Amino acid sequence: MSEHLLEVKNLQTNFATGAGIVQAVRGIDLYVDSGEFLGIVGESGCGKSVTMLSIMRLLADNAAVRADKLEFNGKDLLAENEKAMKKLRGNEIGMIFQDPMTSLNPLYTVGTQLMEPLKLHQKLKKKEAKEKAIEMLRIVGINEPEKRINQYPHEMSGGMRQRVMIAIAMCCDPKILIADEPTTALDVTIQAQIMELMQELKEKFSTSVILITHDLGVIAQVCTRVVVMYGGLIMEEGSLDQIFYETKHPYTQGLLESVPRDAELEDGVYEKQKLKPIPGSPPDLMNPPKGCPFAARCRYAMRICNMAPAELTTVSEGHRAACWLLHPQAAAARDKEV
Amino acid sequence: MEDKRPLIEVQGLKMYFSIAGKGFGKKSRQTLKAVDDVSFSIPEGTTFGLVGESGCGKTTVGRTILKLYKPTGGKIVFDGKDITDLSEKEFSPYRKDMQMIFQDPYSSLNPRQTVNEIIGAPLSVQKLVSSKEERDERVRELVHMVGLKDDHINRYPHEFSGGQRQRIGIARALALRPKFIVCDEPISALDVSIQAQVVNILEEFQEEMGLTYLFISHDLSMVRHISHRVGVMYLGHLVEVADVAELFENKRHPYTQSLMSAAPVADPKKAAASKRILLEGDVPSPMNPPSGCPFRTRCRYATEECAAAMPPLRDIGNNHQVACYNML
Repeated sequence: MSEHLLEVKNLQTNFATGAGIVQAVRGIDLYVDSGEFLGIVGESGCGKSVTMLSIMRLLADNAAVRADKLEFNGKDLLAENEKAMKKLRGNEIGMIFQDPMTSLNPLYTVGTQLMEPLKLHQKLKKKEAKEKAIEMLRIVGINEPEKRINQYPHEMSGGMRQRVMIAIAMCCDPKILIADEPTTALDVTIQAQIMELMQELKEKFSTSVILITHDLGVIAQVCTRVVVMYGGLIMEEGSLDQIFYETKHPYTQGLLESVPRDAELEDGVYEKQKLKPIPGSPPDLMNPPKGCPFAARCRYAMRICNMAPAELTTVSEGHRAACWLLHPQAAAARDKEV
Repeated sequence: MEDKRPLIEVQGLKMYFSIAGKGFGKKSRQTLKAVDDVSFSIPEGTTFGLVGESGCGKTTVGRTILKLYKPTGGKIVFDGKDITDLSEKEFSPYRKDMQMIFQDPYSSLNPRQTVNEIIGAPLSVQKLVSSKEERDERVRELVHMVGLKDDHINRYPHEFSGGQRQRIGIARALALRPKFIVCDEPISALDVSIQAQVVNILEEFQEEMGLTYLFISHDLSMVRHISHRVGVMYLGHLVEVADVAELFENKRHPYTQSLMSAAPVADPKKAAASKRILLEGDVPSPMNPPSGCPFRTRCRYATEECAAAMPPLRDIGNNHQVACYNML
């Protein structure tokens, strides 16, 4: 039995499409401990959402998921059948999706949708479920929950719908909450409200949270540990401070330099720095490069980078990066600033 | 900056839409005040950033300036000439000086046209080229300017990534050598690493050609990066305007303060140090806005005065204007 709450080893997900096979996730190891706020960051198409959907077994039939190990709370998820997975989803693992406009069913009231998991998983009677649903709505900060429970999703704003989604995900007291870009569709002031709420609930219910996002700002605010993905592989993982201040992978470095971080001078005056974008665009996963997926855009790329992907190397405790520059023989190349 | 003359002047701009209400017939129609009494000016060669949450009217301001809508009231002055009431025909010569870059690079390019046709179309419409050779030459030049290659010219939009499509959109806007470009959320549909590429291109062109931008965005860190002057909108009203450094260091409107404190900073130490001012509730419906100051329902400092009338945009010195009775 593993010590982690969720542990994945060598996860690979391929999609069969009309044009060929897309290798969306190409062998990643991942773990989540209890009480952790893990952030997975990467650009669109890097495989961050597919990783989570693969673990939950929520992908369509054209997806082939393989892993050496996929364990949740001591259970081997690879061996579980669909019926057992259904018991897990929404009960022990809660999920929140990006778009609060489409992830609620427009034909049912909020109350019905909130009571469904309670009746199904917790075997609550209708009356008990309703009481619990009202309580959950109050916890997520919705005013007049007795009235709101009979409303339909279209009667609510985007921020409120996302609160309802969180209430549904949290109502069975899950061990892990997976949030896939929960605030991307929302305005900044509403985003701040939702992030605050997620942090509050994490403490209150001592849930582990996996936050999938492309926004480094959101990561910096709430996460304790960060995984950086690119081209279906993990590029770097470490604590929040290790990723932001002791950056080891050129891709992570590139991401951090792409967002304006105006330097603050001593007298409080801001100096504008020119943005350093990452040139080029992400690789085509239909035909992924043989070497490091980032090599084509990397300013430090060496010959070996195009020949084989680098293994994740431990830099310091809890901090790993997959880059050939970390190889002992690459010291000379590392100092080369382009 | 004051020595430069304004290229765009907007005075008391109003844009109301008539919207179908709950019943039938004309009586049930309601008025949506998307933009209500907005005034600002943009000096030549500078960028004016317009920020605010969705539905605050920032896109409508951009579109109304380009006369894609007929304004309900107010005045738009371009390069010293009042263009508010020009007919479509009279306005046509001005079109080539005023262009737009759109938010969604997927829906703003015609999927059935090649890059050559997309970028060349404005050249032909405005009759700026006399022969096909001249047109092809100019298209090639534009394609190179935005960092694309010769062999991209005869391809279709679906063959490009989001960032490349946005480059095509920029090339199309630049084709007529405009003086003024409305950039309507030009980077919000792009990945982080690509956003910086597009912003850098826009900045380079401004330096080279002296372009004037209206940069509409909800991304405060990018607005701070690219703008010279910034306006903050809330529910159709401009609530605060100032030069960029002044605004970010000396924000006086309660809404500007909470908006900026809510924006995530990609720096864990700063994020931990900064205090977030959380706003209660949501933006009210623009169909049924609160009386007086539209922000008062979410404002911690609201008084009775705020409910009575909309506070006027007052100058507080340093070229800084705020619309608030209880400014901070």
